[in-house]
Amino acid sequence: MSDQQEKMRQGAEKLLQNEEVGYVIGWGTTRFADRTTPIFIDTPAAASDFVWNEYAVNSLAKYLLDDKYPDKKIGVFVRGCESRALNRMLKDKQVKRENLYLIGTPCDGKKAGRCSLCRERNPLLYDVLLWEPVPNVPAEGRFDRVRAIEAMTPDERYGYWGAVYDKCIRCYACRNACPVCSCRECYVDMSRTGFQGKQHSRSDNQIFGVTRAFHVGDRCIECGECERVCPMDLPIMGQTQKILKDINELAGEYECGLDAESENFLGAFDLDDKDEFM
Amino acid sequence: MELKKEKLPEALALLQSDARLFLPAEADGLPQFTVWDGKQAPCLSGNPPLPPKDVLFPRSEKMYGYNLSTGDVADLASPEKQVIFGIRPCDVKSIEKLDRAFLEKGYADSYYRTRREQLTTLSLGCTEAARTCFCESMGLDPADAPGADLMLNDAGDAFSVKSNSEKGEAVLARWGKLLTEDADKDAKGAGKDVSVHCAFKVDLPADLPERLTARFEDPAWAALSRACLGCGCCSYICPTCYCFDIGQENRGAEGTAFRCWDSCMFSDYSRMAGGHNPRPSKRERLRNRYLHKLAYFNERYGTTLCVGCGRCVDKCPAHLDITKVIETVGGER
Ligand code: SF4
Ligand code: SF4
Ligand code: SF4
Ligand code: SF4
Repeated sequence: MSDQQEKMRQGAEKLLQNEEVGYVIGWGTTRFADRTTPIFIDTPAAASDFVWNEYAVNSLAKYLLDDKYPDKKIGVFVRGCESRALNRMLKDKQVKRENLYLIGTPCDGKKAGRCSLCRERNPLLYDVLLWEPVPNVPAEGRFDRVRAIEAMTPDERYGYWGAVYDKCIRCYACRNACPVCSCRECYVDMSRTGFQGKQHSRSDNQIFGVTRAFHVGDRCIECGECERVCPMDLPIMGQTQKILKDINELAGEYECGLDAESENFLGAFDLDDKDEFM
Repeated sequence: MELKKEKLPEALALLQSDARLFLPAEADGLPQFTVWDGKQAPCLSGNPPLPPKDVLFPRSEKMYGYNLSTGDVADLASPEKQVIFGIRPCDVKSIEKLDRAFLEKGYADSYYRTRREQLTTLSLGCTEAARTCFCESMGLDPADAPGADLMLNDAGDAFSVKSNSEKGEAVLARWGKLLTEDADKDAKGAGKDVSVHCAFKVDLPADLPERLTARFEDPAWAALSRACLGCGCCSYICPTCYCFDIGQENRGAEGTAFRCWDSCMFSDYSRMAGGHNPRPSKRERLRNRYLHKLAYFNERYGTTLCVGCGRCVDKCPAHLDITKVIETVGGER
């Protein structure tokens, strides 16, 4: 791993030296050895601040939305999950490929629950690959927990989600961390419209949960960032994955972010659609 | 005085007989301050991820109801008696800070005041500090909460008990025969002999508020804010953050006015009519949150709006850290 870390530091240093990028996004240390934080390095000398260890859990893709019109390219380390997020962001026209310099870093899995579902450890798109791809580990039980929820009676299910959203503090960390959640203004922040009450109640919390699930469900790359960041440890991927499972069952195999061309299921339309409505 | 641990359920039942009793217990798979059901075993180690702030300052609170056709207005404030058992010294200190904000400077918030007057706090001293606890650096003692009505400390098979107020005396009187004389007068307890210390320390310069305000335009703010996701996690789990919004909900002629938590980290918090936002990006919002905690509150009340509970350090999804803000922007130059 330290060998890879060295390659990352050198790679970033060179890009900054040659002024190919304005800055590079990666991981840096914190006070605690088992935690890293996203860092944004803009001088060659500071490239030695990058770290790469089993605690580099934060996804970096979302930070690209903070700088949509950069003067120079943005360098960013990409693993499988970042690349899938990028595919989706490219398709959704949230970022421009020519603004990015993607430094591929195949990943062995980090110490995070979100990595347990990972099926694509190698970056699917990159400008340079820093080391050899790693074998993917077949992830078992993709929809197991959705099945468990489906097996409940309607009352049990209502009780289950009610209890989950009673605990939600509506901090919106799940929304803000999600790489495919990209509206310029979220309906949540339009409190005067009455779409969703600002009060913290079971019903308004659930409205948030359901709306979030529908807004990202068919574009969800199953990266697990939403659950990682939730301070209340709520199992909210049970909702987004329900949508993915339904799509899989209705329309065949479906997975997001594997390329930058595929339409998202609920966003696809055809002008010659036989159905007049929609 | 001492309360034998085996007497705790009885002691709690007495508290519960005429008040709503909150204590830290495992509820729905999560340690949290919850209304005691008479059976739950209280969590006596660690501090729940959410402080008991909403006992005094509910996440959502109905203030008054009205009828638009009749013009009737009804106050919906609830003057219920409440007790918090097992609140840690940091969270007790946070209540003292909230008191300053809600009750001082010529205006007392009546909703807060009603709840505050009806609240009794029974604090439990810490026997160990989590790795994110830095209350000592904020001038607190992990084993003593002078602001609590009653202070309990672990003394082996009993809790040492010390009253700090009339409300505390009332609890002692009520517990009466459940209490015994201290077995060992020199035993640690009630803050006399603190044996717990925070390993996590931060240097708090005396002139921190002045330094931070003078560095309002410092580039470090932008650098610190880049990893921030702009969520409300840090403010909602913070025991001292007290921003709220006020709104109305109407159903026909009937309506209620409510207030609910809000966070200065949200983009719509500072948005004005017409759409202008004086804090347009994460940089301004993060700077405001920390300046409020470490400078503005000091200017107004002479004390810092942080008690060092470490919750934000523990839970921030981007792993940002208030102590790093203190060191980076407030450090020696
Ligand atoms: S991160 Fe968790 S607590 Fe915060 S809004 Fe999302 S589900 Fe609710
Ligand atoms: S909804 Fe959750 S799992 Fe899906 S892309 Fe967003 S953060 Fe990742
Ligand atoms: S500092 Fe952390 S917890 Fe606070 S808003 Fe930023 S990302 Fe969220
Ligand atoms: S700012 Fe952080 S450490 Fe300070 S009181 Fe709030 S949550 Fe606790």
